Amino acid sequence: MDMDIKRLAKLARLKFTPEEEEKYAAQMANIVAMVEKLPDLDASGPLIDPDNPMEFRKDEVQRNYSRNELIANAPEVQAGCIVVPKTVAE
Amino acid sequence: MDTKGYEIIVGLEVHCELNTKSKIYCSCRNAFGAEVNSQCCPICMGMPGTLPTLNEKVVHYAVKMGYALNCSINPISKQDRKNYFYPDLPKAYQISQFDIPLCENGYLDILVDGQEKRIGVTRIHIEEDAGKLIHDDSFSGTLVDFNRCGVPLIEIVSEPDLRSSAEAKAYLDTIREIVIYLGISDGKMQEGSIRCDINVSVHKPGEPFGTRVEMKNVNTFSGAVRAIEYEAARQIEVLENGGTISQETRRWDDLKNCNFLLRSKEDAQDYRYFPEPDLSTIVLDEETLSELKASIPELPNKKVVRYMKELSIPEEDARLLVESIEKSAYFEEIIAAGKIVPKDASNWVLGGISRVINETGKSIKEIGIPAAHMAQLIEMLEKKEISSSAGNTVFEEMLKSDKAPKDIVKEKGLAQVSDNSVLQAIVDEVAAANQKSIDDYRGGKTNALGFLVGQCMKASKGKGNPAIMREMLLKILEG
Amino acid sequence: MELYRLTAAELSRMIHDKQVSSTEVTKSVFARIAAKEPEIDAYVTLNEEGALKKAAEVDEKIAKGEDLGKLAGIPIGIKDNMCTKGLLTTCSSKMLSNFVPPYNATVIEKLSAQDFVCTGKLNMDEFAMGSSTETSFFKKTKNPFDITRVPGGSSGGSAAAVAAGEAIVALGSDTGGSIRQPASFCGVVGLKPTYGSVSRFGLVAFASSLDQIGPFGRSVEDVAMLYSAICGKDPYDTTSVRREYPRFEENLSADVKGLRIGIPAEYFGEGVTEEVRASVMKAAHEYEKMGAVLVPVTLPKPDYALAAYYIIACAEASSNLARFDGVKYGYRASSYNSLEELYENTRSEGFGDEVKRRIMLGTYVLSSGYYDAYYKKAKFTQNLMQDMFREAFRQADVILSPTAPDTAFKFGENSDDQVKMYMNDILTVTVNIVGLPAISIPCGFDSKGLPIGCQLIGNKFDEQRLLNTAFAYERQIGGFDLSKTLG
Repeated sequence: MDMDIKRLAKLARLKFTPEEEEKYAAQMANIVAMVEKLPDLDASGPLIDPDNPMEFRKDEVQRNYSRNELIANAPEVQAGCIVVPKTVAE
Repeated sequence: MDTKGYEIIVGLEVHCELNTKSKIYCSCRNAFGAEVNSQCCPICMGMPGTLPTLNEKVVHYAVKMGYALNCSINPISKQDRKNYFYPDLPKAYQISQFDIPLCENGYLDILVDGQEKRIGVTRIHIEEDAGKLIHDDSFSGTLVDFNRCGVPLIEIVSEPDLRSSAEAKAYLDTIREIVIYLGISDGKMQEGSIRCDINVSVHKPGEPFGTRVEMKNVNTFSGAVRAIEYEAARQIEVLENGGTISQETRRWDDLKNCNFLLRSKEDAQDYRYFPEPDLSTIVLDEETLSELKASIPELPNKKVVRYMKELSIPEEDARLLVESIEKSAYFEEIIAAGKIVPKDASNWVLGGISRVINETGKSIKEIGIPAAHMAQLIEMLEKKEISSSAGNTVFEEMLKSDKAPKDIVKEKGLAQVSDNSVLQAIVDEVAAANQKSIDDYRGGKTNALGFLVGQCMKASKGKGNPAIMREMLLKILEG
Repeated sequence: MELYRLTAAELSRMIHDKQVSSTEVTKSVFARIAAKEPEIDAYVTLNEEGALKKAAEVDEKIAKGEDLGKLAGIPIGIKDNMCTKGLLTTCSSKMLSNFVPPYNATVIEKLSAQDFVCTGKLNMDEFAMGSSTETSFFKKTKNPFDITRVPGGSSGGSAAAVAAGEAIVALGSDTGGSIRQPASFCGVVGLKPTYGSVSRFGLVAFASSLDQIGPFGRSVEDVAMLYSAICGKDPYDTTSVRREYPRFEENLSADVKGLRIGIPAEYFGEGVTEEVRASVMKAAHEYEKMGAVLVPVTLPKPDYALAAYYIIACAEASSNLARFDGVKYGYRASSYNSLEELYENTRSEGFGDEVKRRIMLGTYVLSSGYYDAYYKKAKFTQNLMQDMFREAFRQADVILSPTAPDTAFKFGENSDDQVKMYMNDILTVTVNIVGLPAISIPCGFDSKGLPIGCQLIGNKFDEQRLLNTAFAYERQIGGFDLSKTLG
């Protein structure tokens, strides 16, 4: 199995020490060996379930939350906004 | 710009905000410019355990656009998660559509210097907008406003069929006119209702396409033009200096009027798309689809061409009429109401009517002149029953009262006199009183004729038919 | 008679007939909690004040002669991954250790409409990832039958609380066995309903396409009653199904004559201990005595199911748990110099090992180049398994198997071997993959005196038949024996 722990950690925004990386690499190898026990079958074609149609929501406005209760759980707040470290604009 | 013999290839990804009442996946108000974080709920703020529910209008609007752009509609489609971390994306994934968009394989005919050109439309899909980051230099951090999270978007992806910034501009203008005609978006640039990502490549004719570079963050159409020209010039320069173009994403900076590298192919994002398990399948039945199809009006790009070809209205006027749904509708009512030359009707709508709109800010409906009355006025002018100056007087009166032009003409006695005996008397009188002018004319001062005609008009209180009186004067002068 | 020992059905009748007040019942349960909680550690958050306030309200309404729901005044414990407005909801994770939702999960709204009394929030494996409740950031819940052993997981707090009398009934959630396996380990009844029959709105997602909320109780009737209260179409969850849901507890019937009970050989084989196999087969023969017929059925190989399960569950989890980034709510790392560091430090410090492992696995199976080989293939395996079950239910009305390969294990016994730990789910995950309902009922004890669970699997939305089948067994053996844990 070729698993680039560093790259995956980066994608998942996780950080590991070199020791942890080794530990995870080993554990992941076992787990992947387990999950590779899938039957041989043709997995082409899209993943879609036409027998399970969705009920749409009507386009109506409902408002029942105040800004204060919505940002009450935020670690850092300023001027009614949630604060993060300066970002390079994208 | 000097393309040094290179051909420029442009493809556009247009993001257009839909003007639904509520957001795409929750019932928050879809409104621009509200107080920060005042249009949010636990769902659009991505709080734990919350689930999306899809707004029916969003699906319908996207399908309408699909029909407008001649797409085939997928009656069974799904939504997918696009995973990436950014503070303006509270769930850390954007709900979008990956392999089965609502609409595919369409096209759009644009008008570039009088010629129609067909631009392929690859796909149209629905997705949610992200929040806004507020960068304030007076403050060490970045502020996040989630109001825009969950504002419904359609993304319209074009084929690389555009060959210049001008064509791109025409394409964008046409898309904008269409969404406004369909009433699915207010198309307000300044509010960011329409934004685009631009793919640009250059190559020598006959050679295969060059490597394409994607430009993000283009928020105005004029910006799009400049961005394309800048990027094309940049690529041409690189190639001319023996360099190569690498597949990368660049960010357009509209203020600095240039772009810079955002990420190269190597660190391209891995979005790990997979079907959104919180939303079941989008299934659209025949009936709904045909209703939506039937609701599509004649589109502006087609209307301009029809006005030009069938009504021989000049392109510029045609565009001006079509720009406004109300003006073009009024124009068509007028020409339907009487046997008149379309160009004359167009002139009144773009002239007198538009003037009143600009002066009073009223809509045509508020101005309240029935199309039939306009037609009647234009007819009288075409038949020379009244002079053009009288025509203006009648129009002014029509603005004040709802009387028919014919009645106004009667009341004010504005009808043009063409009775020869009456006119002859006037002409003889004027001739007798202006021997000097007659001598001048005979002496070669032909402009004396104009003076004499003027005198006749005066004497007839503006009602005499100037053409007839002119003929009568000439008889005397030449006699 | 201690009130906390009674069932919800009994207490409901007594409260409505004014034989006891909700306040008396609630006080009895909190007295029991005070006595047992120090050794059991079932709760992350207790809600005594709110509970007594609510109980008083209910008593007032009863006094006024108001017509209340069956669960009015009944003390119910809630797994800590269901959002409770104004009450800490942690998922037993450091990441949400300070999160107070401004909204209720739909199931909480439904129970509130019946005036239930919320005892508090029950311990679980972190974000429901585990089979022993050992991955909780806060505490290790003990098995009331033997406090040196795990209660199972991930809904270990719910199962232990109900078994120990620290709640009359409780809600749990089941993604791969998280209701049935702890029910089996703690000798109580646990139902994992058909996917789509209970709203997931407000249930902090682990694996959206597999998660399902369900009831724990000491009797089949209690489980039926609680299930009736929470099931139904929810406009806030598009995956919930619109259909007629009966009041299950009112239609309970112990008649199993002619019922075809499927016996899948694969689920009695490798890994299942002799004691468990014998005890579960004994239950099967009890049904025969009652007039049911045992028929052999073929089910998907359990290791296929386990593979598909871990791929799908972890893929969805890696995306569902990405929102925990220290920006909007929950834990935020104390030191960081950039946005990237804020993300990485917060997530590395806020999540435990098992959660990180599953996020990594999920990220891997979705990453470009592996999606088709893992995620997509797993989804197609899921379809294949659904077909096999459709076939099996042509031959059988209900399928019977052990709930878990073995009885409750000791703390730390499996925690350093993930694959061994995942094997605990091998008999339960299949049911989640195919979205069917299944119930675990106690069917005896092993030589260590630990309870053994029998799993009954039903066809889609066939909960009534499933509950009836369980009810018949309960009647036959004269009720489930919790004398050891109820004291």
